[in-house]
Amino acid sequence: MRKITLVLIKETCSLVSTGFVAYRLAGVMIHVRELTKSYADLRRGSFVAVDSISFDASPGQIYGLLGPNGAGKTTALRILSTMLQPTSGEATVNGYDVLTQPGLVRRQIGYVSMNTAVYDRMTAWEMVEYFGRLYGIEQADLRDRMETIFGQLQMNEIRDLLGAKMSTGMKQKVSIARAIVHNPPVLIFDEATSGLDVLVARALLKTVDELRDQGKCIVFSTHIMREVERLCDRIAILHRGHILAEGTLGELADRHEEPDLEELFFELISQHDNQLALANVV
Amino acid sequence: MKLANVKWIYLREVRDQLRDRRTLFTIAVLPVLLYPLLGMTFLQVAQFSREHKTPILLLGADSLPETPRLLDDDKFDTEIASEQDAKLFDLTIERALPPGVSLSTLRSWAEQEIQDGTYDAVVYFPDDFGVKLNEFRAAVADSPDDSETELPASIKQDRAIPEPELFVDTASDKSRMARDRVDSVLVRWRDSIVVDNLRDRRIPSAATKPFKVVSTDVSRERTRRAAVWSKILPFVVLIWALTGAFYPAIDLCAGEKERGTLETLLCSPAERSEIAWGKLLTIMTFSMATSVLNLLSMGMTGAFIVSRIAILGGGATKLAIGTPPPAAFLWLLLALIPLSALFSAISLAIAAFAKSSKEGQYYLMPVLMITLPLMMLPMMPTTELDLGMSLIPVAGVMLLLQALIEGQYLEAVRFVVPVMGVTFLCCLLAMRWAIDQFNKESVLFRESEQWGFGVWIRSLIRDRRDTPSLSAAVMCGVLLLMIRFFASFLFAMPETWDGFAMTTVISLVAFIAIPAIIMSVLLTRSPTKTLLLRAPRFEAIPMAALLALALHPANVALGLLVQKVYPYSPDIIEQLKVFESVIDGAPGLWAVILVLAVTPAICEEIAFRGFILSGMRHMGHKWVAILVTSVLFGAAHMILQQSLTACMIGMVLGYLAIQTGSLLPCIVYHLTHNSLSMIMAICVPTLIETYPGLSLLFSDGESGTLYQWPAVAVGLVVGVGLLNWFRNLPYDQTKEESLQKALDHQTAQIPAKS
Repeated sequence: MRKITLVLIKETCSLVSTGFVAYRLAGVMIHVRELTKSYADLRRGSFVAVDSISFDASPGQIYGLLGPNGAGKTTALRILSTMLQPTSGEATVNGYDVLTQPGLVRRQIGYVSMNTAVYDRMTAWEMVEYFGRLYGIEQADLRDRMETIFGQLQMNEIRDLLGAKMSTGMKQKVSIARAIVHNPPVLIFDEATSGLDVLVARALLKTVDELRDQGKCIVFSTHIMREVERLCDRIAILHRGHILAEGTLGELADRHEEPDLEELFFELISQHDNQLALANVV
Repeated sequence: MKLANVKWIYLREVRDQLRDRRTLFTIAVLPVLLYPLLGMTFLQVAQFSREHKTPILLLGADSLPETPRLLDDDKFDTEIASEQDAKLFDLTIERALPPGVSLSTLRSWAEQEIQDGTYDAVVYFPDDFGVKLNEFRAAVADSPDDSETELPASIKQDRAIPEPELFVDTASDKSRMARDRVDSVLVRWRDSIVVDNLRDRRIPSAATKPFKVVSTDVSRERTRRAAVWSKILPFVVLIWALTGAFYPAIDLCAGEKERGTLETLLCSPAERSEIAWGKLLTIMTFSMATSVLNLLSMGMTGAFIVSRIAILGGGATKLAIGTPPPAAFLWLLLALIPLSALFSAISLAIAAFAKSSKEGQYYLMPVLMITLPLMMLPMMPTTELDLGMSLIPVAGVMLLLQALIEGQYLEAVRFVVPVMGVTFLCCLLAMRWAIDQFNKESVLFRESEQWGFGVWIRSLIRDRRDTPSLSAAVMCGVLLLMIRFFASFLFAMPETWDGFAMTTVISLVAFIAIPAIIMSVLLTRSPTKTLLLRAPRFEAIPMAALLALALHPANVALGLLVQKVYPYSPDIIEQLKVFESVIDGAPGLWAVILVLAVTPAICEEIAFRGFILSGMRHMGHKWVAILVTSVLFGAAHMILQQSLTACMIGMVLGYLAIQTGSLLPCIVYHLTHNSLSMIMAICVPTLIETYPGLSLLFSDGESGTLYQWPAVAVGLVVGVGLLNWFRNLPYDQTKEESLQKALDHQTAQIPAKS
């Protein structure tokens, strides 16, 4: 009996130590604290792309990262998807640490970005199947799952089409199918609508909306205000590696007394740039 | 690492490559078409030159002598040129010079005719050629037999007969061929005149060639064939193994970066090492396939051409190398595996570094420039398989392969371990390098940055860390080896003790310790941390000395084993003798220990366990860092047989450095080890005579003073125990090592089902 108790205590401790229980209970799926990323730069020594940002995102929520080009959105999301290692700070996905448990983190996420292309010499079916296998899904389960996804995303016509022959919209569908084949609790979309025509972008936003309804935690980065207004439950405005404001759309409007998101965005950014300029003068 | 993932990645990459027309063309279509096409062209050219008639103009037919006849109507006489040969000439005969052409203009006229293509060669016999020739022959026939009588002027004169002239244009292939053909006919004709002359004088024609040297080839046909093929085949196989690895590697790495699919793969659960291994196996598959296909296609075309030429006759003897011995193919295939693994790993690392396919292609040339000399070296006639050669990557394998193809199995077996050891080590390092490339953010998401030398130097100093970077460590190692190499030309081996002590101390301090210290000061923020200049826990020092004592017998035994298998060359034995006589001149044991134990222990430890090992540890793998440092340490010992044992000692020293975090135990170990060797060489032989009891521990034989086997065994057991003590010491991990440990740990926890 004593032995069993000891084992139980030990198990619980290890679960707590990985943060697994803590975040599950708190309903936080993505937890980012003081996350900083600096790159080595030949001329400047180092360049800080993300400067101690913190935010949390929960299941069933679309979290928007809004920022101009070069704000650090892609860097932040690459850290979350373990492709880059943080310089300092902490980030966990479903309780797993992105630095020390990257393999486990990648199982929790599906990542779609303008940089994640589709293989030219593979058909849609082969491509999704390949990634499903890398996730270690059993053959029979994988087939069922893929049939469902291909049905949902209306991809059955392009099943045997090679990547090279697909239109941008088709490729985007394959990317989404690839990202959700393992049914991850977290989905990350990095500038996923850029380069898409209105129809395809609209369809993508609809898919993202549906995924939220399925209870996924979604991080959606963009520089387009309208998408944020339509989609996001909470947003963070990111500029030069800093989070300038964070909250629901309503909270932001109240706090800054500016109901128009675009105006708010410009105001915050110019304010920040002015402060920087002043600091340099002084 | 999960093997299933490596398999899926491998299968996908292979399928992807097979769907790529460019790859298929280079790997399968090109070799299958190339050699038959080349062969056909070769045969066509041979056929053409055999059947093509040569237009020749012969001027001055009137002045030819009656006998022996050169011409028969409008062609060469059948006595001189056979029916077959005569067919090769399209002969135009003019009795004298053409109208309007004089002797002075003949040359330019002939030049014009040949350049216009009317004739390929023009032969001119001067007017009185036949007359003078006949006079000469008559004079020779009639000249008196006794040696005292003066010979008539007509034969004494050097140029009694005017010389016929052959006009050719050696810049034209056709004209050169015409020259060879006409020349051979004229030489035969002249020979027949010689024979006639001799006959007139009743001298046997054998008088001109009283004897002939018979050369007998004692090689058996099989070995002769093997000797030729053992040089050609490995070269062909390796060149294609490299080319076959490089192009797929570029497509698989740089190409994926370009197409944007690499990021897709990186965010999948596949680990970087799984991706690297999957890609490596794919590249290896294509490298081997290219090589084997080229070999087969070349072999089959070659065999066909050899047989065709034999049928056509002529030149067959020159090409009679026959087909290669069948066992050769087996050995080639066996050797292809490690070499294509090595080439594939190197290509993979380079291709992973390249930002685009175009950038990747640029790197092919430097790789070839480095690899080609390694492949050419074994083809040189003086190169033979010995210990030195067997330690050179690629060249060693090629030489081993040559020995195996030639059937020298006993010779080959001796070198299998070093050759395969070096190849394996190179593969391991190249693979480590490739995986590191996949782990480096700066490589995966590389953006163009303007590079400037000044900016780079400034950034080296500005961005330095507490301990040296990996590249600084590699640079230091290479620098030390280079200095050592050039310094060995600078100083001749001194013949007095004073000179010897001076050069040894200077070269150790100036060429090993000082460069390392300067680099620590310039390239690191904390030279004390880099050079491990801190006190260890007290027990570590006596423990290190004890360890050196315990492992010394095993080290001596290992050294003896190495010398047995790979004996010293006569040069080195000579050098060692000089060395011994120099040591005999030392003022005492203390001096020898000071110069050959204390100084190297301090200087070499500062450089190798200090600077280099500290930098290597940024790889994140303790044992790889120790191994690479030890190999460099071994290489710094110029005598190869010593390098091997030094490398083993380096492993122990590296381990001590990491476990104790201090340079002091390493210096103590190194010092104790070197001192023991000196004491054994200098004092023990006399001590045994005084105290016969010592012969229980030592034996004094032909190979110098050695330990008895029980001492070796006991020492080893004690040594392992002591190493275990060091293993239990808590040691400081570098950031990379602890991250690597965490990463290794997390893979074990992956839930079975997603």
